[in-house]
Amino acid sequence: MKKLFALLLIISVVFSAFAQGGKEAVASSKPTVRLLTDATGIDDDSFNAAAWRGIVEFYGESIDNTPSRGTLYDVVTAASADMYIPNLKNAADEGYDLIIVTGFTWADALGEVAPLYPDQNFMIVDVNWIIQPNVLNYIYGEEQGSYLVGVIAAEQAKADGIKNPKFGFIGGVPGATITKFEVGYVMGVLSVFPDATIVDYYANDWGKPELAKAQAKNWFDNGVYCIFSAAGGTGNGTIAQSKEYRMAGKNVWSIGVDSDQYTRGIYEGSKSSVLTSMLKLVENSTKDALGKIEAGTFREATAAAIEMVMADGGVGYSSANSDLNPAAKAAAEKAKADIISGKIVVYKTYKEALAAGAVPAGLSALDD
Amino acid sequence: MKRKLERRKSFIDWFINSNGATSVAVVFLGFLFGTILVAVVGKNPFNMFKAIFVSMVGQANNKGIWNFRYVGETLAYSIPYVLTGLTMAFACRVGLFNIGGEGQYVIGMTIAQMVALLVPAFPGLWVLCLVLAVIGGAIWGGIVGILKAKFQVSEVVATIMLNYVALYGSRLVSLQLPGATTYKTAALPSQAFLSKMIIPTSNLNISFIIMIGACLLYWFIMEKTKLGFGFRATGLNKDAARCSGINVVKNISLAMAISGAFSGLAGACVLLGGAFTSGRILAAQDNYGFMGIAVALVGNNTALGTFIAGILFGILKESQSLMQNMDIPKEITFIIQGLIVVFIALRSGLELVKQLREKQKVRKEVLAK
Repeated sequence: MKKLFALLLIISVVFSAFAQGGKEAVASSKPTVRLLTDATGIDDDSFNAAAWRGIVEFYGESIDNTPSRGTLYDVVTAASADMYIPNLKNAADEGYDLIIVTGFTWADALGEVAPLYPDQNFMIVDVNWIIQPNVLNYIYGEEQGSYLVGVIAAEQAKADGIKNPKFGFIGGVPGATITKFEVGYVMGVLSVFPDATIVDYYANDWGKPELAKAQAKNWFDNGVYCIFSAAGGTGNGTIAQSKEYRMAGKNVWSIGVDSDQYTRGIYEGSKSSVLTSMLKLVENSTKDALGKIEAGTFREATAAAIEMVMADGGVGYSSANSDLNPAAKAAAEKAKADIISGKIVVYKTYKEALAAGAVPAGLSALDD
Repeated sequence: MKRKLERRKSFIDWFINSNGATSVAVVFLGFLFGTILVAVVGKNPFNMFKAIFVSMVGQANNKGIWNFRYVGETLAYSIPYVLTGLTMAFACRVGLFNIGGEGQYVIGMTIAQMVALLVPAFPGLWVLCLVLAVIGGAIWGGIVGILKAKFQVSEVVATIMLNYVALYGSRLVSLQLPGATTYKTAALPSQAFLSKMIIPTSNLNISFIIMIGACLLYWFIMEKTKLGFGFRATGLNKDAARCSGINVVKNISLAMAISGAFSGLAGACVLLGGAFTSGRILAAQDNYGFMGIAVALVGNNTALGTFIAGILFGILKESQSLMQNMDIPKEITFIIQGLIVVFIALRSGLELVKQLREKQKVRKEVLAK
């Protein structure tokens, strides 16, 4: 009998401890946020890492020191794709001021869950079709960042004294998204060398680095100076080939995309074959959204997708490579200022750019 | 004093002879070590148990209303675990090692999305999806069964290889489906989805009942039919079974087919269970098939045991997101699962203890005479 009583007591204590549930109210006026990621987590060197960095910096902390993690912000990684919807609902039920998901793989799940929680604010990156009053969509002006890396590639060639340099572009699957990268890059190169030869190639796949590597070898052998690849995993082949050739003493470069791929091209000490990278600064979107939550203007902004362009700090270039010529960097900074001021207009589609005479005919870019 | 000793002795006897008790002890050990591990890395184990507790009974939301949705998600997650567990368990009882649950799962999923997208939608389309997925899984498993029975091809190697054939074959086929991009197909018609039940805010759907039906069917075939007797006899001693007039070749082929059917069903249930809105272009394996091996091990290859073990794995899966919220790494759930599988080896150890005790008992009896 005594034992039974003790057991009952223990159970009731445990229950009362759990019964509170929910998220404890935080005294601070700062918004609470949860980041939901796919299986790669926040160590992916890409989207998720950038989104996380933005959140941490918003609270004035750093990646290595996150004292507010667990009270103001946290991150939940889904181990498999069937966990997207339940994880979104779990987060919404716990009640955060903002729930952030990254990348289009989350789009379907968010489209399902967002209408079920009309009072919950969500944000998604790289998607512009989940237009709902409680969802903020962010897309990027990739053509502007690509213009800058085009300028850098050309200026670097000029500084190296290359006669008639050629430039290459490798894309994944042709379509409107990748055309933005190609048009911007080509315009950037031609702004320095109006008669430069441009070659382009589409691998028709996001995950075949061997195709990009073979193409890059072929081009480098034929005098191409620098190749920009916007092709997901396929682009790693370009970096690998440029690394091999730089190790062998050839003066060729590759350009990274989305995040700073400088470290992928390191071949000796701190020398890297990745001249620069076209950066998509997802961290600035998460900061922007959190700022909107704090200011109470989130709902006013959800009518259409927000395009983060150069002026918003949405895109940029990396200057991590110490071999980057100061003249090239200066030219990039000037082009950046001109794009922000509107002096330089970078086209989004091949059709427009072609009509304006800004790019040569005969590229493989597609507008749909 | 003597009575107490007697009672303790009978408890040990009971513990050694009961497979269920061993499983429970093993799960307990797994959690115990998991807890120690969490404490060692400086986190609060209480938070881990809180997360597990919430995924079992739910919790109050910020308005003070009890939210059972967590329980629904837990049960929904457990559906594929139980079904792939039955795959492994069924084959094991017939003396086969079916590592191909993953491949059979992928085939079931692929067939379900092909049917959903290509057959003109009609009410009850989901039934056709499930039935054809079951048949697909059965064929995928059956192929290995025939190879094993007729040509003595190792079923372990054959099923592992077919897992990859299934994954990449699924990609090839699914990329040809309407609206296919690099990661999904067009949206599936609404008639293809399994309807929600009991807790409609969660993903819990009628396939939970189908899963319980599968458990009952497993139990019935294995324990109550002549066919099941033949299966078990084949599993215990193939040669003896053949000598007693049991058609071993037929039994092995059929057992692999039935085994595969469970995983085929699991694939369709995951696809149509509410977690996805369109067909999938698989980039990697979902690992449900492999987790099924652990589920069957913990469940000791019985219907009830597999069911309970599957629910346990579902609880651990749902608690992952709740744990990370409280700064407990989700990997702890995988560690607990792994520990449980390792500790299952205790069963063999207990078998040795049992033999030793019997020997002692006999010796005592002989000496007394």
